[in-house]
Amino acid sequence: MERKKKNFFKSMLKTKELGILFILILLSVLVEIVNPIFLTYSNIMDVLRNTSYTLIIALGMTFVLIARGLDLSVGSILALSGLVSAAAMFYFHLPIFVAVLLGLLCGALFGFLNALFVVKLKIPPMIATLGSLYMARGLVLVLTKGSPIYPLPDAFSQFGKSYVAGIPYIVLVAAVLALAGHITLKHTTFGRKVYAIGGNPETAKFAGIDVNRVTFSVYLLCSTLAALSGILTAARMGSGQPSVGDGTEMTVITAVIIGGVSLNGGAGTILGTVLGTLLMSVLSSGMNLVGVSAYWQKFVMGLIIIVAVGFDQYQRSQRKAA
Amino acid sequence: MEKILEVKQVSKRFGKVTVFHQVSLDLYQGEILAIVGENGAGKSTMMNILSGVYAAGEYEGEFYVRGKKCEFRSEHDAKEHGIEMVHQEISLHRDLSVAENLFLGVLPHQGPFIRWKEIYREAQKYLNMVNLDVDPYEDVRNLSNSQQQLLSIAKALVCKPEIILLDEPTSALTESDARNLNQIIKKLVSQGISCIYISHRLDEVLEIADRIAVLRDGEMISIRSRAESTVDQIIGDMIGRPLYEMYNKQSAKLGEVVFEVEGLTVPHPYILDKNIVENVGFNVRRGEILGLSGLVGAGRSESMCAVYGYMKKTSGKVKLEGQEIRIQKPRDAISQGIGMVSEDRKGSGIIAPMTLRENMTIASLKDISKAGFLQKKREVNLAQTFYDMLHVRAGGIEDYILNLSGGNQQKVVLSKWMMKDLKVLILDEPTRGVDVGAKIEIYNIVYRLAQKGVAIIFISSELNELLGVCDRMIVFGHGQIWGNIERDSFSQETVMKAATCVEKYGI
Repeated sequence: MERKKKNFFKSMLKTKELGILFILILLSVLVEIVNPIFLTYSNIMDVLRNTSYTLIIALGMTFVLIARGLDLSVGSILALSGLVSAAAMFYFHLPIFVAVLLGLLCGALFGFLNALFVVKLKIPPMIATLGSLYMARGLVLVLTKGSPIYPLPDAFSQFGKSYVAGIPYIVLVAAVLALAGHITLKHTTFGRKVYAIGGNPETAKFAGIDVNRVTFSVYLLCSTLAALSGILTAARMGSGQPSVGDGTEMTVITAVIIGGVSLNGGAGTILGTVLGTLLMSVLSSGMNLVGVSAYWQKFVMGLIIIVAVGFDQYQRSQRKAA
Repeated sequence: MEKILEVKQVSKRFGKVTVFHQVSLDLYQGEILAIVGENGAGKSTMMNILSGVYAAGEYEGEFYVRGKKCEFRSEHDAKEHGIEMVHQEISLHRDLSVAENLFLGVLPHQGPFIRWKEIYREAQKYLNMVNLDVDPYEDVRNLSNSQQQLLSIAKALVCKPEIILLDEPTSALTESDARNLNQIIKKLVSQGISCIYISHRLDEVLEIADRIAVLRDGEMISIRSRAESTVDQIIGDMIGRPLYEMYNKQSAKLGEVVFEVEGLTVPHPYILDKNIVENVGFNVRRGEILGLSGLVGAGRSESMCAVYGYMKKTSGKVKLEGQEIRIQKPRDAISQGIGMVSEDRKGSGIIAPMTLRENMTIASLKDISKAGFLQKKREVNLAQTFYDMLHVRAGGIEDYILNLSGGNQQKVVLSKWMMKDLKVLILDEPTRGVDVGAKIEIYNIVYRLAQKGVAIIFISSELNELLGVCDRMIVFGHGQIWGNIERDSFSQETVMKAATCVEKYGI
């Protein structure tokens, strides 16, 4: 019996996703014991909704990181795209559909620029997207002069608040995207190429993979998803806020890394990213419910990163020894 | 002669697997003892024990330096006992200067201040010891492979060792650079240093070693003096059965010319306004194995990388089946039926975080997918077929490629191209760092491909290999072609004369 238990625990540790799931459940149970509000319908939906905004971006970030890239500009793009959509509706009275499209285009444009800096100018991704982070945030301030844009059309705001079968719309959107992301990564040639260029770009090139094109695609995908998240955020708030998305890039990257995506590229899964993102939201919701001060929450987040990545490294060294 | 090192019945286990079984061995002062054996025979384990990588207690048995029992806790301990290891993979800091590299870890200093003047003065002394003519201020990045290898040895000398352990010091070098290196090792040994020398190159071992020890499956099979050793005997001991012909050349029926290169000029990758290859042309016939010989830096790899679209070319025509084709990136070459195995297996041959299956099919994604979606079953079948056919030794196609030995990794890399219907296959040093058994298997794969009508371009720095395997040989000298030799006229002398730009042959 004792032995069986140990084996179960061991195999649990072997699959990274299961490990995160285990921590997730443990955490939920702990929080629920301290504060039973946690597992109520409304709180669960709240957690899921908060997860979704991050998750949509984290999906794109997963692709970028697996392809050995990095995108720090997602937070600023989120804000800028939301505002572009809001401005299109508020100032120019464009139809919602067109406004949304403009917002997405704005995100795609920045993704294109990021890829251009990285692929053509050979600027390291961290620097290139850091530049974009400031440029996009700067444009936000130019566009709004610091004040929010509102009110937005009812039909638009409604989308951010409405439910389908008791589940917030945004959660469904995120779930569908996650599924699509999983299928793309695991079951398409494109996904395989993303892993290949992250695993070893030279080998990929030798094998006839157009490394530049794949790199372009992942940056484009990531920033477009950031834009989508931004537009949905604007819908939720019913306004275009200049300060949204500040620091989102760090939340997203943290979630993805906790989910087991390697910063060295070539490894990671969508399932891991989903669980990592969920873990982050549960953690922050849990800490609120348990009554941890906002100041300490940041500290705990930092600690979690170290523990998660440290654990991953430990696993890896064990595997090598075996 | 004085016994300087005595190894007594050392065994090493990893978990339940014994990789090293009761090995004993003596090393005398001023001798070169070569250790040969297939990959996995236990050569590196031996080196790791002697150099303190495995601390005392992690192995059984004991060893003595000058009669004193050694129980090292770290590599540092080994250094203090006068044992220095030069690793196979060059581990220099590329962005530091030659002198800094030499003294790294033992920088002479006064208080917290490093005595740079002394370092650069002393550096020259050690560079002279290995006949290395470079500026101590030069960045290591700008040194050639062989210069870096010499520098690694100089670095080992800085600690004034009594015993040097060399792990395949010539594996990345060309014939003449290797010869030069071996001369230097001989010189060092004549000055009283003792040396254990691991190598895959038997010709070299027979030239340089005083005694030759053969390991197989973790056991010491034989130790003979050079005078008593022959190649056949050594190989026989290594693989446990007699070996009559290592290369066992099988000729294919040669067809018409399928691939032609004309007027190829390739700019030097590091030096501006200089061409590494100038106006080179050659052709290959269907079923032919064409060897490209020459010294490192002569432009063999560079020409083929340029033909393949991996490097830029200034000018040059490539014709496939008489038709001129444009190749700007590897993708273009592949779509025309040209494949290439690069010389740097780790850097551009394998994808480390992937499984064997994924590595094998990475160039065939189109063939295993429909409308962009992978068809798992087809992929598994395809990978499994080649896995079985090439006798890859691993835990299955879902094993990670990093768990494989060099030879098996190379088979996986080859299978990547075998599953495509190629017209031309370029192999750049396909047997580098591969053990004898796997080498033989790789030659057989190459023969089989040739018999199927594939034109093979085979680049190698091991002259014997080219002499054994190829139907014809092109010799590069300083970026131009100096020799075009048919198999009937193969001789080491002609090739070396052409490679060193002394005498042209067949042009």
